[in-house]
Amino acid sequence: MLAGPALIVMIAVFVYPLGYSFVMSFFQWDLSAGSNDFLGLANYTDAFGSPEFLQSLRNQVIFSTASLMTEVVAGMGIALLINGKMRGLRLARTLLLIPPMIAPAVIGLNFRWLFNEQYGLFDAALRDLHLPVIPWLSDPDWALVSVIIADVWQNTPLLVLLFLAGLQSLPQEPLEAASVDGASAWRTFWSIILPLLRPVVLIALMLRIIDTFRTFDIVWLMTQGGPGGATTLITVEAYLLAFQGVDFGHAAAVSYIALAMSLVLLSALYGVPWLMARRRR
Amino acid sequence: MSDQALRRAEVGIAFRARRRRVPLALMARYAVLVGTIIITVFPLVWLLITSVRSSADLFAVPVHIIPTSITAKQYISVFSQYSLSSYLWNTVIVSLTTVVSVTVLALPCAYALARLRLPGGRVVLFLLLIMRMIPVVALAIPLFAVFSSFGMLDTLGALILTHTAAKMPVATWLLMGFIQDLPKEVEESAEVDGAGTLRTLVQIVSPMIAPGIGASAVITFLFTWNDFLIALTLTSSKNAETLPVGLTNFVTQYGIDWGPMAAAGVMMIVPVLIFVWFAQGLLVKGLVTGAVRG
Repeated sequence: MLAGPALIVMIAVFVYPLGYSFVMSFFQWDLSAGSNDFLGLANYTDAFGSPEFLQSLRNQVIFSTASLMTEVVAGMGIALLINGKMRGLRLARTLLLIPPMIAPAVIGLNFRWLFNEQYGLFDAALRDLHLPVIPWLSDPDWALVSVIIADVWQNTPLLVLLFLAGLQSLPQEPLEAASVDGASAWRTFWSIILPLLRPVVLIALMLRIIDTFRTFDIVWLMTQGGPGGATTLITVEAYLLAFQGVDFGHAAAVSYIALAMSLVLLSALYGVPWLMARRRR
Repeated sequence: MSDQALRRAEVGIAFRARRRRVPLALMARYAVLVGTIIITVFPLVWLLITSVRSSADLFAVPVHIIPTSITAKQYISVFSQYSLSSYLWNTVIVSLTTVVSVTVLALPCAYALARLRLPGGRVVLFLLLIMRMIPVVALAIPLFAVFSSFGMLDTLGALILTHTAAKMPVATWLLMGFIQDLPKEVEESAEVDGAGTLRTLVQIVSPMIAPGIGASAVITFLFTWNDFLIALTLTSSKNAETLPVGLTNFVTQYGIDWGPMAAAGVMMIVPVLIFVWFAQGLLVKGLVTGAVRG
């Protein structure tokens, strides 16, 4: 009874629409016309035959891999180096909290301004140094890189904070023992710190996998998926199909593919170590 | 540095060889710390600088790093030219109402899941986790169809309902963690004294998990305040458009009006700065607990 009201709202405004769009994904769905034709799996098979969708899939794989890798490696590196008794660490921790909490829409626009080729700061700096100017948002390859840079700027701080919290809760004895044995910092990291931090690293990976497959705002405000579809992620493709192509069935199918992909990745993340542990036993 | 040296001495390393290396390593670490701070802060400072420049200064080539003069013009034009006040009002109303409704609904739900043996409780927990993973666009597409059939597109009600449902999983998950950390005995003795479940929750449990409620409220507020995609899909006029959607209106056919855009962006960031300054503990607690448990 206590959980009732919450469950009713979640079912009405969350579960029901999702079921609705799951049904939609098997139909030729047109909001204005009364007739909706059953298509079976055609929306899904069509998706994999469309060059736009395949391009968004490629962009998504590059975007997710590159931002995930950069954020985890940079986040861990920074956390390891600034952990300990350092002046200014408290200040840094406060400041690091800011980017992950800012609206991605604002970050997208701000980076669009920084990357502006005429008035933007980055190209102005390159010009001052007499270096070739970079076409940040007008060149297809650079545009994807620019979007990744904005995402990395926003999310690396969150991972630094998570890893710092993890490092601070580590037991001190193994570290001191390693130091007595004269183990190098590199060796200590790989054979002591990283295994102990495994749960935190897994959580960080999980969070970022989920969120890179949900990313929309930053991309929409920086490039709207352009130029020429070069930064269209799967969510952007679904949005474009629904609200510019007015093909809701197709759009619903694409959004379900995005969800399925992050589910598969997550179960791999948790399933593979679990299977390996079982085999060893 | 002296602390480091002391610790090493205590551990008992023969550190004659190492001692000389310490300052260099420490300097490198400080370089990383300072670099991290600069990279984190700089884009935001640049946004602030952009928002106080005159339009002539903004579009000067070559770019001046330091503004030649400071003006509040962009902030004024954001209200006079772009009707920012209605966006701001809508965003505040939607965020605050969502915080209240999420708290009121999620608290009993979290209590029931944490303490009472519900049939299907595990299924609900699993669903909450999946809901956290769903791309917003997957929700926004069918909601557009549903709300349009009810004639509720472009209303604040549709936004509040959607945010309430969408922020509920994280809030429930967070509150559940705080409730589970409480000792059970207090509630049991309240029950023995004849207090009903609801009374126990309101009078005994809620005050004890006040930091948890605060953390979930702050996180719910900021994530609703920051939302772009739900408002983009469900609104189409000043009736219900929020600040982040209002930002896209600075993108005109003549290009982007960067001055007012920066001013509006700074206003979007203000609540974040306030919460980071005054409620840093709650935010970290919410983020880390939310991350660890959900």
